[in-house]
Amino acid sequence: MMKSKKIIDRNLSEGREYIPEFEAYAICEEFGIPYPGYQFVGTIEEGTKAAEALGYPVVLKIVSPDVIHKSDVGGVIVGIESKEAFTAAYEELMQNVKEKAGEVTIDGVLVQKAMPKGVEVATGGLRNDQFGPVVMFGSGGILIEVFKDVAFRLAPLDKAEAKRQIEDTKAFEILKGVRGAAPSDMDAVAELIVNTGRLISELSEIEEIDFNPVMAYPNGCCVVDARIIVKKRV
Amino acid sequence: MRESSYEDLDKMFNAEGFAVIGASSVRGKAGNQIIEYALEMDYKGTIYPINPTSETILGLKCYENIRDVPGQVDVVVVVLPAPACLEAAKEIVERRKVKGDVTGVVVVSAGFSEHSPEGEQREKELLEILSPHGIRLVGPNCQGILDTYTGVNTSFDVGGYPRGGVSVIAQSGAFSASYLEWAHPLGLVGLSKFVSLGNMADIDVIELLKYLEKDERTKVISLYLEGTPKARELIETAAEVSKTKPIVVMKTGKTHLGSQAANTHTGSIAGSDEIYDGVFRQAGVIRASTMSEFYDTCRAFGKLPLPKGNRIYILTVVGGPGTICLDELSVKKEIQITRLSEKTKRDLKEVLAFTASVERPVGYTDMTGAVSEALHQDVIKMVLSDENVDGVIYLTTPPAFLDQRGLAENIVAAYKSFPEEERKPFLSVIGYGYAVAECRKILEANDLPTLEYADIAAQVMTNMVRYVEYKNRSHK
Repeated sequence: MMKSKKIIDRNLSEGREYIPEFEAYAICEEFGIPYPGYQFVGTIEEGTKAAEALGYPVVLKIVSPDVIHKSDVGGVIVGIESKEAFTAAYEELMQNVKEKAGEVTIDGVLVQKAMPKGVEVATGGLRNDQFGPVVMFGSGGILIEVFKDVAFRLAPLDKAEAKRQIEDTKAFEILKGVRGAAPSDMDAVAELIVNTGRLISELSEIEEIDFNPVMAYPNGCCVVDARIIVKKRV
Repeated sequence: MRESSYEDLDKMFNAEGFAVIGASSVRGKAGNQIIEYALEMDYKGTIYPINPTSETILGLKCYENIRDVPGQVDVVVVVLPAPACLEAAKEIVERRKVKGDVTGVVVVSAGFSEHSPEGEQREKELLEILSPHGIRLVGPNCQGILDTYTGVNTSFDVGGYPRGGVSVIAQSGAFSASYLEWAHPLGLVGLSKFVSLGNMADIDVIELLKYLEKDERTKVISLYLEGTPKARELIETAAEVSKTKPIVVMKTGKTHLGSQAANTHTGSIAGSDEIYDGVFRQAGVIRASTMSEFYDTCRAFGKLPLPKGNRIYILTVVGGPGTICLDELSVKKEIQITRLSEKTKRDLKEVLAFTASVERPVGYTDMTGAVSEALHQDVIKMVLSDENVDGVIYLTTPPAFLDQRGLAENIVAAYKSFPEEERKPFLSVIGYGYAVAECRKILEANDLPTLEYADIAAQVMTNMVRYVEYKNRSHK
């Protein structure tokens, strides 16, 4: 927890309430929350080495304190399958950002292992005056705001309760496996909920968490996109 | 909760005497209605109307000032225009200093924090007068307390009422009074306590839940909740109380958390209503989604034993309502529609008309209109004694050619043929509703709830099963 606390404190002292994605993964790591392997690189050479170490395919994401909405400036390139493609993509990424965001500070590039498709779910957390820390689970992806297939619990919670929370949603039916699909690893998803709950309840600076989507597989699950919003406590 | 909380509330519900400041001899005034309803109760203590201009009110001797009342006064009801309540509170404090009594004050009057900034200030002052002297406040803007067993009653909406196991906590007196008065003519609700909390300036829903957890005359807590800033404490308290007895809640107000949280998907879809939904489930609280579900679930818990499992059987006299019930029950994942034992099946076929459908489909027997009053008794006994059955929903119109009294008495006899510890929940859906009042009154008086709607009955049974599932996994 010390590492996560340091990350949060540093961001807050720099006036940032939105934790950069790669640092969000560092927080995940400390809380046993699975995320795709990644490396933070500064050059193409470092990048190709990283990609080989992680294994293709990979995703490239720009890391800049001035760019919050990465996709809007072409700061994310997916589906990179080879070294050649990597070099081209890296250059394209830099070009995109320069064209659309102008001369911004670029800390480097995040090389992230591309995750295969699974059942898309989401977990999240929020803290408010009435309820204190609360954990959310539901159907993930872009449909979350339309179908609102979500269930809440007070955090922290245990695994049995997390399983009941999953059962409260329609996502449960999909996780069980529909039309011949293999059932997803319910245990891993429940554990992710428990850990998301620990995260929101143990780090009091965290206002909101969004892990969306989370890919659920027959073996394990993985957070593919992470957002953590923090706030200074007075 | 302070140490003395339980004792304070207990003293109020068991008041040896209570006074009404602002009692009135004028019919139609709240100060008159309170006395009238208080007199309807079987109350062993003394009621003291306080009014400087009356000799007696409804036959009770009237006092000029609260300080003049000779006997013990545990509760004082204040029903005066809001500004005058502060003066009355000071007089109550004077009395307490001299006599050492008055545990609680019920301020019925409106015109406090619910009304205006001045009202909010007034409410603050009211507390500042009472609290330093250890005097507890119910309200303001409320109906106060009613206890059918001790006979204490400060309400202007509810009078003498049949006793039972339901305790009603209300943030809106009108909602809960409607429930109780709706249920009254047929005896649908057996009441233990009714508490209308109003603005909750002092005594709030959390404190009351803790009290009712320990109250042996409360079997189920019926809660009408508009909201509380202490939502987390409420849920954590409810989770504890639910280990002992069920809480059924009607929660209104679908407010959005709004700007407080909206940077993420989680934040933007989280209304307090969605959160309440989940955390009530976590705490074992049964949240009703409609008024009829709320009404019927509370009273069913109040009268029936809890099911020992989730295996439910449908026994019907009528096809349509039976099918609706089966449809509704079959989509509840908590429920197992149960199969009768071979023996019960044989026994049923033997006594029922050949037109009856026994176990067609599984979990469902249509006895048809050919079933007589007396045969009801045999059939209900057979189904209730089957070890594959944890609960039964029985449906009828009942047919006009059956004798209402005879039918009800046979059903009661079947039910009561089992010793108390072996009884199972038995819901009767009586399609003709208020048109067959006699039949229903007899069943209700014998703790057999009668419902009007087949789909609601399925929901009520599901709520009972769901509660038991919580209780079993989190028992103390």
